[in-house]
Amino acid sequence: MLHPDVVAGLLKKALKGGADFGEVYVERSKRRRMTVRYGRLEEAISGLDYGAGLRLFFGTEVVYAYTNQLTQEGLQEALETLLRAKGTLGKVDERGAGGLDFRKAFPQGLHTPKVPYGERDKRFRLERLLEAEAGARIAPEIQQVEASLQEWEQEVLIANTEGTWAEEKRVRTRLYVLAVAQEGTEVQTGYAAPGKSVGLELFDLYPPQEVGAKAARQALTNLRARPAPAGTMPVVVGNAFGGVIFHEALGHLLETTSVAKKASVLADKLGEMVASPVVTYVDDGTLPHAWGSTEVDDEGHPTKRTVLIEKGILRSYMVDRLGHLLTGYPMTGSGRRQDYTLAPTSRMRNTFIAPGDKEVEELIASVEFGLYAKDLGGGQVKPGSGEYNFAVQEGYIIRHGRLEEPVRGAMLVGKGPETIRKVVAVAKDWENAPGMCGSLSGMVPVEVGQPHVLVSEMVVGGRA
Amino acid sequence: MTLEEAKRYLLRRAKELGLEAEVLFQEERELSLRARQGTLEEIKEARQGGIGLRVLVQGRLGYAYTEELSPEALDWALSEARDNALLSGKEGTLPLGQALGSHDLLGEGLSAPLEAKKQGALELERTLREDPRTQSVLMGGYMEKEVRVALASTLGTEGAFRTGLAGMGGSLVMAEGNSLKQGWDFRLAKEFHALDPGRTALEIREKTARLLNAKPLPTGRYRAYLEPKAVAGLLYVLSRSLSGKSALEGKSRFLNRLGERIASEWVTLVDDPTLEKGLVSRPFDAEGTPARRTVVVEKGVFKTFLHNTETAKALGQENTGHAFRTYRGVLDVAPTNLYLEPVGNLHLEKGVLITEFMGLHAGANPVSLDFSLQALGLWVEEGEVRYAVENFAVAGNLLELLQAIEAVGEEVEWEVMGAAFGSPLVAVAELSFAGA
Repeated sequence: MLHPDVVAGLLKKALKGGADFGEVYVERSKRRRMTVRYGRLEEAISGLDYGAGLRLFFGTEVVYAYTNQLTQEGLQEALETLLRAKGTLGKVDERGAGGLDFRKAFPQGLHTPKVPYGERDKRFRLERLLEAEAGARIAPEIQQVEASLQEWEQEVLIANTEGTWAEEKRVRTRLYVLAVAQEGTEVQTGYAAPGKSVGLELFDLYPPQEVGAKAARQALTNLRARPAPAGTMPVVVGNAFGGVIFHEALGHLLETTSVAKKASVLADKLGEMVASPVVTYVDDGTLPHAWGSTEVDDEGHPTKRTVLIEKGILRSYMVDRLGHLLTGYPMTGSGRRQDYTLAPTSRMRNTFIAPGDKEVEELIASVEFGLYAKDLGGGQVKPGSGEYNFAVQEGYIIRHGRLEEPVRGAMLVGKGPETIRKVVAVAKDWENAPGMCGSLSGMVPVEVGQPHVLVSEMVVGGRA
Repeated sequence: MTLEEAKRYLLRRAKELGLEAEVLFQEERELSLRARQGTLEEIKEARQGGIGLRVLVQGRLGYAYTEELSPEALDWALSEARDNALLSGKEGTLPLGQALGSHDLLGEGLSAPLEAKKQGALELERTLREDPRTQSVLMGGYMEKEVRVALASTLGTEGAFRTGLAGMGGSLVMAEGNSLKQGWDFRLAKEFHALDPGRTALEIREKTARLLNAKPLPTGRYRAYLEPKAVAGLLYVLSRSLSGKSALEGKSRFLNRLGERIASEWVTLVDDPTLEKGLVSRPFDAEGTPARRTVVVEKGVFKTFLHNTETAKALGQENTGHAFRTYRGVLDVAPTNLYLEPVGNLHLEKGVLITEFMGLHAGANPVSLDFSLQALGLWVEEGEVRYAVENFAVAGNLLELLQAIEAVGEEVEWEVMGAAFGSPLVAVAELSFAGA
């Protein structure tokens, strides 16, 4: 996207300005979104994002600039603005005098789409969206359906003063169906939203009419659900997106962004027992075609599989470059950012609890009275205190070891480090699901996952 | 190509192709200074701009945008927008244009020297650290954003405005005994000089420290007092249902309820893009409709949805001038400065003072308006705060909550979440709390 000479000139100038390290991140992204309602295409937008971010380190102080002016002059101007803001313009460091020898790394194509954009026209997409919408119309109570397709083709170039030169084309596709069920004045919603680092073969992996029906079934379940009971009780958390609880309650606490500042309750605990011994927690950026996978992170490092917690013992944090400088922990290829407007920070990729040895039925059978949180919405955490919350999108009461009536409006709240110690059983049925994770460096695609797990005690927020 | 040149290029090309087109362009400048441990750990200075296109072809609308301003990229955007329109199944129109003038809503607001801004960020961070209970400061900082928006169309729309915001805030963890609390807050203003880093830091410390040593709250139903920040969160969720677009999409419980009482008599909800010091004020909306004040709920009675030309026409109501679009998005509806009018009949008695709701994006359903949210709070008795309470969730439905509002305070405080949401302290007869 940029000529190596332009990049080298810029990086050398950064070193001459006194920086210890310089990085250029260039992004060219095509994004498309189509939305169907009432059996017709209602909105369609196509977009082209094009910009570059420049990051310089002076020790552990970071200066960052971004611009859409990707000419040599535009980039030089952004750099000079940065050096002026830092206040060291004019300082000359002789390290900048030599050449920069980029080591070019070429992607292996681990996540290359099978059906790229050009192979199918927009009408093909529209037809699939109409199928998804029709698939949701399974009962007269389904009053409204919205089906959207989001496509994202992101080309990145990351180069730095250490000679890194990494380029990658990342393709992601996601189908989103929202169903609204209504009866009298009662209104409830359900949704389904499969997404992967694939092209239009997404529709083969997740037939649109089935995705629509899934969203509708959830809306209908919630329509006949009673308000959830309130109080402290055992909870069986569903697999796949159920993993969002530990994404919030545990994963965010293991990012060096908070760990380095001692702003995580799990800082300085490597080698310690921080979870129940039945918990092994992994962050894997290499899973083929996973929603959160990339070959290199947004700092140009190869992604990898990082075992964070092994049988309850804390083995690693998620470490980006700044986190490495601040803590000395080795980098884990975890530097991620939403786009060129944000400097990277340590982030999760595909993070999940590894499968255990129990059957799902065993977990449910062991509960006298509790909640089965089958599917979850999003959540939030304060890493400094560990306090988290997340919403139950589809839930059922467990009574005498059996699943009974559906309940709605349950919110699970607690403190992460306490909850993860209360995981008493882990099933075999491991599965991941896609989501968008928001933090300091913006919204990034991640997968969350787990098998079914049983937590001995959680606060369930419902109607008292 | 500059944005100005890109605009002229697109309008000329659209005319050549026989299309009607509307061009929205946006230029932003951002400065942020993040301090930690007495030094600036991150300085960010940036410019971004892009151009959004809306074209009308055979009575249908299509959208595209680009940040790359080469003729190839602009031609690509134009052809994508035309393809998107041709595929659309919905009729649409572009509003008849008018001259809207050029407005400056920012003036000298952000013009202080960089050094003063750096000192402000450092002072704020230092003051956060000065409390012996402060365990770590994640960040103390300053940020400013200046935006220039311009709108033009082949139908004669032509207008521009410049606006911006400055803000200071920070985040810290405080500890006392075994109790840990993480606090975060931000103050925004139209002018750098209206910010006071020392005071803001003291407020953040105070707001965090008062939550330390919290006790569990027994599950039950209690009277609730909602601080402005908590109300702002609920208004944010509610605003989606007040959008004419949500109503048309079958996602609002207010549909067919115009003129009905939907809230208690103490609830008057106003959106006003013309507020002189409003954080999200603007002279015209994303379609070029001039801004004016809109009473959405008056003494509990639902008066109007927020509309753009399209939603107003479809629902047979008056356009309120709430078209919203960034260059990256499609036409939507959004509030500007949405606030609950002060009443001044509130006296603290006994109940839970909720300081903040957490997890709004997950725990509050903008369609059903059901909510079940983690909250932070204080136990109040005889009008005084007795101790902090934690590890609980509050559940209910926003429509029921609006009906149960029995008193509203005097002083409006603002939070910005896309739009600006303002409210005084609010008392709610009873809410359901799940705790220990």
